[in-house]
Amino acid sequence: MSMKKLLKDGPKVINMGMEQFYIDLKAREVPAVRVDWKPPLADRELLGKLKKLRGGNFV
Amino acid sequence: MKRLEVVKGEYYDSVTLMLVAKELKKIEGVSEATLNMATEANLHIMKAAGFEVDGVNALPDDLIIGIDCPGDLFDGLMEMARSYLSSPPWKSGEEAGEYTPRTIEGSLSVLPEADIALISLPGRYAAVEAMKALERGLNVMLYSDNVSLEEEIELKRYAFRNGLIVMGPDCGTVVINGQGLGFSNACPLGPVGIVSASGTGLQEVMVQLARRGVGVKHGLGTGGRDVKSAVGGISSLIAIEALANDPEISVVVVIGKPPSTEVREKLVQTLRSCGKQSVTCFMGESPREDELQLKYTTGLEECATVVVALLDGKDAGKAREDLMNEYLKIEALGRKSETSGRFLRGLFTGGTLCYEAESIARRYLESIYGNNPLKIGMKLPDSLKPIQNSFIDYGEDEFTQGKLHPMIDPSFRTGQLKMQSEDPSVAVVLFDVVLGYGSAPDPSSEVVGAIKGLERKRGPLYVAYVCGTSGDPQCLERQIAVLKEAGVRVFESNARAAIFAAAATVGRERR
Repeated sequence: MSMKKLLKDGPKVINMGMEQFYIDLKAREVPAVRVDWKPPLADRELLGKLKKLRGGNFV
Repeated sequence: MKRLEVVKGEYYDSVTLMLVAKELKKIEGVSEATLNMATEANLHIMKAAGFEVDGVNALPDDLIIGIDCPGDLFDGLMEMARSYLSSPPWKSGEEAGEYTPRTIEGSLSVLPEADIALISLPGRYAAVEAMKALERGLNVMLYSDNVSLEEEIELKRYAFRNGLIVMGPDCGTVVINGQGLGFSNACPLGPVGIVSASGTGLQEVMVQLARRGVGVKHGLGTGGRDVKSAVGGISSLIAIEALANDPEISVVVVIGKPPSTEVREKLVQTLRSCGKQSVTCFMGESPREDELQLKYTTGLEECATVVVALLDGKDAGKAREDLMNEYLKIEALGRKSETSGRFLRGLFTGGTLCYEAESIARRYLESIYGNNPLKIGMKLPDSLKPIQNSFIDYGEDEFTQGKLHPMIDPSFRTGQLKMQSEDPSVAVVLFDVVLGYGSAPDPSSEVVGAIKGLERKRGPLYVAYVCGTSGDPQCLERQIAVLKEAGVRVFESNARAAIFAAAATVGRERR
């Protein structure tokens, strides 16, 4: 969808993050879908390794 | 008794965590409840609140729950917290049960006609998800901050090459066809198009236009860094061209703090050749002479006043002059007002409202300190300990890392307001209350709670501006009434409140 299409027919929103923004859009009947986003697993593994390397002090 | 529990690998957004904490605090015997993602910043805050976080095995993507309660209540409260998180009582049954995809791809199967991704994830993940959205042909509103300059440039260049736009990072407000995303007010649809490098700046101009019966069709945020040399105004220029090509838009407006010299020149040239009446509002700039098709303003209410004059076919210069005369009357009122103490404290939730108010106060007061001061050398050593005349923006990164923005959860600003009100050297406390979608449900009552609990014999003079419209969920009239009942002087614009507050402080500093 180009910017032109957004300004002509939008907004139709994919919300990632704060749910309140999605709730506010739905309350006004703006087409919206929320993504139940979770941090990627690879990132968690990397942080775990870093924590070990730093003697458990890395958070 | 303060106890902690770590819930591994459970991610929740900050609003959900705040709401669960509020539910837990309602229960008798609970003196503190706090739910946070276990980032370094949050663990420090919890430690400062007395929770034993040393040695806790937690990663930033783990949830950490801290409760201060009698020992026998803890397990039951933890159970309750888990239950609220999995099935929040404030959600309708339909909402709680609806299918929620885990990825952008999945969400496109639910809403294939989607045209924009609104991303408010932690900064370290936001750029990756924004690029995924762009690659799938979605425009992006990037609310998140802590996105690097390099990432911003890469995202914006990619968007430009593909006929898309990235609005942000650190973009709080966007309006498309009259519908607000993020922090936004209930304003009418109308013939104005706005490009804004500042969130509350856009809100204030839209609110002032709405109060004058004028609506906005599109309000395109860009993020503050867009108008700096490194980014080169990529999104601002795309946005101006798009608004200029829209036949339903009569006046194009550009708002922000002063851009870099080269970007300013590009923006002005684009406006000059856009074929429409246009207005700039670069706050804090010296006034410039208007051109036939391009008017220069330096204040948010002034900008709205000039736009309305253009739409009505009236003389913009005369409209501006009338406004300045009203400001002179407010200044005179301020000078006559009575208070004790010597200094002004500006305590803001809206970054641009803080910036505009400080730039006005500088015309009256010699030295103003702050956590993000306009003048070099005036930065406070500790933002939690303001001195003399100080302006604090509680939406700055130092207060929001791992915490909610104060427009959503004003409790931290409220605590600071109370603390500073007790200082006998403080003569005037100036503050903002920002209403609208995304903002706290009853922000005025929060502040009034602090004012009423004051121990100081004669408190400071309170001066406020409520940025909102009658259609906002919090009800503008009720929010103003609550403040007035508590003795707060409430003004009709951010500029007017700042003029009154600064004028009320003039001459007191040296006493």
